[in-house]
Amino acid sequence: MRSLKREAVVALVTAVVISGIWLVATRQVQKRQSSNSSIPRRADGKPDFSGVWEATNSANWDLLTHAPRPMVGQAGVYSDVAVLAAPVVALGAIGWVPPDLGVVEGDEIPYQPWAAKRRQENLANWLDRDPEIGCFKPGIPRAMYMPYKFQIIQGTTKVLMVFEYAGAERTIHLDPVAPYPADAYMGHAVGHWEGDSLVTDVSSFTSETWLDRSGDFHSDALHVVERYTPITRDAFRYEATIEDKNVFTRPWKISMPIYRRLEPNAQLMEFQCREMAEETLLGHLRKNQLVKQWEGKTMRVEVTRKVPPGNAVYERHFTGNPPTRQ
Amino acid sequence: MLVRLFIALAIMSAGAQGQPAKQFRTPWGEPDLQGIWNGETLTPLQRPARFANKPVLTPEEAAKVEAEVAARPGRNARSERGTEKDVAGAYNQIFAQRGTRLSDRRTSLIIDPPDGRIPPLTPEGQKKRDAAREYMQALLQGTSGGKPGPPSPRHNDPPPDYNVDRLNRADGPEDRSLMERCLAGTLPKLDAHYRIVQSPGQVGITVDWGQGSGFVRTIPVDGSKHLPATIRFWKGDARGRWEGDTLVVDIANFSHKAEFQGSRENLHLVERFKRVSENRLEYTVTVEDATTWTRPWTFMVPWEKESDKANQIYESGCHEGNYGIIGMLANTRAAEKLFKQGKGPDPRTMDLATGGDIGGGIERER
Repeated sequence: MRSLKREAVVALVTAVVISGIWLVATRQVQKRQSSNSSIPRRADGKPDFSGVWEATNSANWDLLTHAPRPMVGQAGVYSDVAVLAAPVVALGAIGWVPPDLGVVEGDEIPYQPWAAKRRQENLANWLDRDPEIGCFKPGIPRAMYMPYKFQIIQGTTKVLMVFEYAGAERTIHLDPVAPYPADAYMGHAVGHWEGDSLVTDVSSFTSETWLDRSGDFHSDALHVVERYTPITRDAFRYEATIEDKNVFTRPWKISMPIYRRLEPNAQLMEFQCREMAEETLLGHLRKNQLVKQWEGKTMRVEVTRKVPPGNAVYERHFTGNPPTRQ
Repeated sequence: MLVRLFIALAIMSAGAQGQPAKQFRTPWGEPDLQGIWNGETLTPLQRPARFANKPVLTPEEAAKVEAEVAARPGRNARSERGTEKDVAGAYNQIFAQRGTRLSDRRTSLIIDPPDGRIPPLTPEGQKKRDAAREYMQALLQGTSGGKPGPPSPRHNDPPPDYNVDRLNRADGPEDRSLMERCLAGTLPKLDAHYRIVQSPGQVGITVDWGQGSGFVRTIPVDGSKHLPATIRFWKGDARGRWEGDTLVVDIANFSHKAEFQGSRENLHLVERFKRVSENRLEYTVTVEDATTWTRPWTFMVPWEKESDKANQIYESGCHEGNYGIIGMLANTRAAEKLFKQGKGPDPRTMDLATGGDIGGGIERER
């Protein structure tokens, strides 16, 4: 009798404990499913953006809504149907820009008239002008939506972002810091919290970075305000308001989700593109030309390098600044 | 009451001196190494012969050495050389960012072996070093920086291994040093400023070095293993762990293109980052490569904390602004053209390699 009673008590206690565990477990599952409460947070309650991330859109090709188009094209049989041009003709379907919806609010970049013309020129001369081709630092906001992973290490007072492309990096200062005494490709960023959003103010830019592979550009008057807002545990909304009195008629805004790389061992790899870009950047200055021709089953591609005359040899960057200040 | 306060203060300050490291914790409980650290030093990696058996100098001796180096006219003077070497020495002492103070008055950063010197090379290591030196000497033959004689036929040979040095040749970018190509972001990196940022299980280090040749490292401290040996990085594959308050980072999988003191793809580094006080972090590295050296060796550099508010880690713009490499190649092409036209000397007889003053310190290396 006594032992029966004891067994009953044990059973009751066990049931209570198990249902308790079950309840807690259920709650945790519910917690994980409800997006707001599942956002990783720091000891101080602020969201933790640490991790490996990547935008999966086509914004690095073109910020605006775009149909497929040749990476480099020329007139085809029909005036409105381009074909791949010589530098990419061997690539076939791979030589076409993947289509996507735009990331610009209103799907329009408010260029000043001279700048709209410059942007068209940039697009037409993409292979000669895009800083990405030279492995030059991507700048902000472009670094955030390149087709490479990037890592956020959110420290106590600094947020470090490391980009696989070119091993570029930037630091967002959450604590008071002296102004940056120079220009920086990746800008100088100070941040603060607005609720769950990390808001940064980025300035001290050079004029030598672009916004995409479509010739969208800015001057050294660029000023970017970014906003990082958690959507779920594994995604945040990235917004950037872009202002440049030399190039645009008004501030404009881009917005996109950026996703966590969910592989359990996700990590940055090394993409040392400086060495990779040397043949493109310096091949014309070799004593003996290295890349001369390529031959496949259906085509032969001949390459003749040209040395530009005089000081043009040193024209490494095509800056976004107006040719003469307007 | 006042007495009690004094006693409390005395105990607190004694505690701070006795066990300081414990107080540097991140909010999530890991040792906190964050901030800007200055690792510049005048102390050379290896102990110079004149300081044999003298690992630490007296304050007077140290002050004398520091004054000597500061006063050396060659420290940033290029005018004493001929034009040829001046042009070739595109990067001089001012780019090398050497410190002006000895670390703890030490005469070598190497703490093991006790003689402060890199251990002897293995026969294989010696063979590789000799091959590299012979090749470099051959290309210098007939110039002001080399042995007399006609230009060596080896001018047409490729280097014995992926070139990392400044050759007396500029046929293409590969003939120039990693520094000139902005590819010198290799490990270990001394004489730099470092900013450490941590998140749980991750450590990031931005290395500001060589006036714009800096780079960034990310170190997983999460128990993960090295990548497969087929994956090789210029900066190797780093994996960290905490041993007490010390961050221990194991680096393997180096590329054969990166070089440290003659070691390449077999280089294995174990870094130890230990914050010993508010303002001092000891950076200790054990260097191992059984194919290059007869035994592992270890060096230690003390880093000093700098103001996070006043100072900045500057972005590296070496590659973006690298007009030097364009000039070197374009200049050599122009010299070849003039030689062909009978208007200038054979470029092979001009010294493009030994200018500059990057090795300047308490002992001129190389």
